[in-house]
Amino acid sequence: MYWLALLLPDLPLQVFTRGTADPGLLAVTESRPRQQVVAASPAARALGVSAGDGVAGALAVAPDLLLRPRAPELETATLAELAHWAGRFTPHVSLDPPGGLVLEISASLRLFGGLQALAGTLVQELDALGLQACIAGAPTPLAARWLAASSPGTLAMARGGWQECLAPLPLAVLADAGVGKDILMLLHGIGARSLADVLRLPRDGLARRQAAAVSAALARARGETPDLRDWFVPPARYTARVAMAAPTDNVEPLLFAARRLFAGLAAWLTARQTAVDHCSLTLEHESGPATVLELYTGAPSRDEARLGLLARERLAALPLPAPVEALRLESGLPVELAPKSADLFGDPDTARENAGLLFDRLVARLGTDAVTSLRPCADHRPERAWRPVRPGTRLPADTPVPGPRPLWLLAEPRALRGSSGLILLAGPERIESGWWDGADVRRDYYVARDRDEALCWVFHPLDRPDEWYVHGYFG
Amino acid sequence: MANPLALATLPPGLVWQADRLAGSAAPGLPTGFAALDAQLPGGGWPRGALIELLAARPGVGELSLLLPLLRSTPADHWLAWIAPPRLPYAPALAAAGVPLERLLLVRTASDAETLWATRQATASGACTAVLAWPGRVDNAGLRRLQLAAEDSATPLFLFRPADAARQPSVAALRLQLSARAGRLLVHILKRRGPAPGAPVELVLPQRPGLRTESKLSPPSLHVLARPAPARPALAGLHPRHS
Repeated sequence: MYWLALLLPDLPLQVFTRGTADPGLLAVTESRPRQQVVAASPAARALGVSAGDGVAGALAVAPDLLLRPRAPELETATLAELAHWAGRFTPHVSLDPPGGLVLEISASLRLFGGLQALAGTLVQELDALGLQACIAGAPTPLAARWLAASSPGTLAMARGGWQECLAPLPLAVLADAGVGKDILMLLHGIGARSLADVLRLPRDGLARRQAAAVSAALARARGETPDLRDWFVPPARYTARVAMAAPTDNVEPLLFAARRLFAGLAAWLTARQTAVDHCSLTLEHESGPATVLELYTGAPSRDEARLGLLARERLAALPLPAPVEALRLESGLPVELAPKSADLFGDPDTARENAGLLFDRLVARLGTDAVTSLRPCADHRPERAWRPVRPGTRLPADTPVPGPRPLWLLAEPRALRGSSGLILLAGPERIESGWWDGADVRRDYYVARDRDEALCWVFHPLDRPDEWYVHGYFG
Repeated sequence: MANPLALATLPPGLVWQADRLAGSAAPGLPTGFAALDAQLPGGGWPRGALIELLAARPGVGELSLLLPLLRSTPADHWLAWIAPPRLPYAPALAAAGVPLERLLLVRTASDAETLWATRQATASGACTAVLAWPGRVDNAGLRRLQLAAEDSATPLFLFRPADAARQPSVAALRLQLSARAGRLLVHILKRRGPAPGAPVELVLPQRPGLRTESKLSPPSLHVLARPAPARPALAGLHPRHS
């Protein structure tokens, strides 16, 4: 067993800042036990605002400070989203609140090129999600978490005596393992400053002083007693939500935030070897009903760039009723997709991918009805001998064409003033049909050349031989 | 030395002829008409270029000219028709052998949308050919389309009214189309290479009523018909350096 711990120390702040490139002066506050700052953005910290400050004090140092109340449900959702995403690396993911996640990765090390490489990939992909985490590895989940909290980047190797690297850690890490504040005070009072000091204390003495929790935690961290974890079970659909640091109706920041969501969705789909052909992006406004964008891809896809492009086309054409406060992404039901192979000789699917992407972009901007394909229909009436179909649809075998047909058809036959100047080249072809459905046609069609040398398809109704209409052109 | 050799039978490159196209042009896509191929640099429709087709009116054969190219669309490419002014008629296209399931018929609501869609279709690299009927388009717009076509190596056919011939254009190839006695007259207004010569007269195979036509047409018209120039000499005639 080898565990990686991901710890997001300022998660309350990150859930607000991950949607923007520059969060500005921002502080997250909570009202219990008292009105205070929980976390502050780098710009705010530079002005002297720090966690634990009173709100009034923080505003005194930085009058422009933007305050947002802590959003615990968003933090929970973000951790769940991270757990989704981590499923890409290992099926063994466990939530480790507060603000953490542990992954059992011993089976995945070889696939991802070793421990160092895997840790690097994790950091990189977290960045795409807009999150920063401290990462550390150890043979037990609790040790990994402690290392992530106080010396991030440590990858304790699973060999004899690895427990030594826990010794210098400060006592504060014990708080994470359920050790009460009063016991920490007690340990501090007898001069213990690091775990090494605690380990030197006699175990039975600790237990007598109601500090059994300390020995239990240490035993779990050192692997002396088992540490059972519940694996995270991802739900059937993907949902994620990103809050904007400040409400905006500007497209670029919205897209920036949306890309964070798509990155998470793409990793989730990769982990499950599936793809989606539909997802909905909900823009939540300060007031009024939310705006929902339905994004359809022509073929099942798990390409975040493609989804980003579609979102861009839709957002560009969308009037927003009010500034947007948060974005929520919900995937449609995933569909199976064969895993993509890394082909040595280029990707044979590229052309098809490009073709699908073009179709998606056109539909996203112009609407489904504006992009069609055509197919012939077995009907003698020229107006009804074709039908729009969805592009890419396989067509049935050709219906034979009874006579010459023009490449251009006019939507409505256009009346000609007499037949003067027309040279009839071929015809007549009598088309008499449709008496049963009210749209009956009784016409004699000719191929004709008009005065300007253009070839056109003309007809006259059987009962009115003097009236001539042009119905198409041989383009 | 009694019989002077015809110029065309000499090995290519020995005698430079002023109306001969330079051989360095990138090979184009065959148009399906030998007489036209001979007049186009690269021997066909240039890949990745803006091609303007100027016709005063529909029905002269402007679509039939492209049918050989349209027929050769592979299954993973589109044939984009952006904002055609009339309905491309499915039965006729199917009868002409155009793969209808690869057709992408795009309707737009404004000139700006037409240009946008044309650029997307061209730049995607997913189209065998893009046929577009832009409304009003300025030089900057044409330039952007030309760049998109160059980048993606997609031929972009822009159908424009005949009076556009008076405006300068960045298009690599400009053809003016008109009909004469049932044949299509292709007047090359602009091409890469030497100045274009006389119009090319093409007989379009897909057009009805041609049989009667050839009987009716006055013989004087055939003066304009150009025979397809002989192909360069066979490879076996080249002097071999060994």
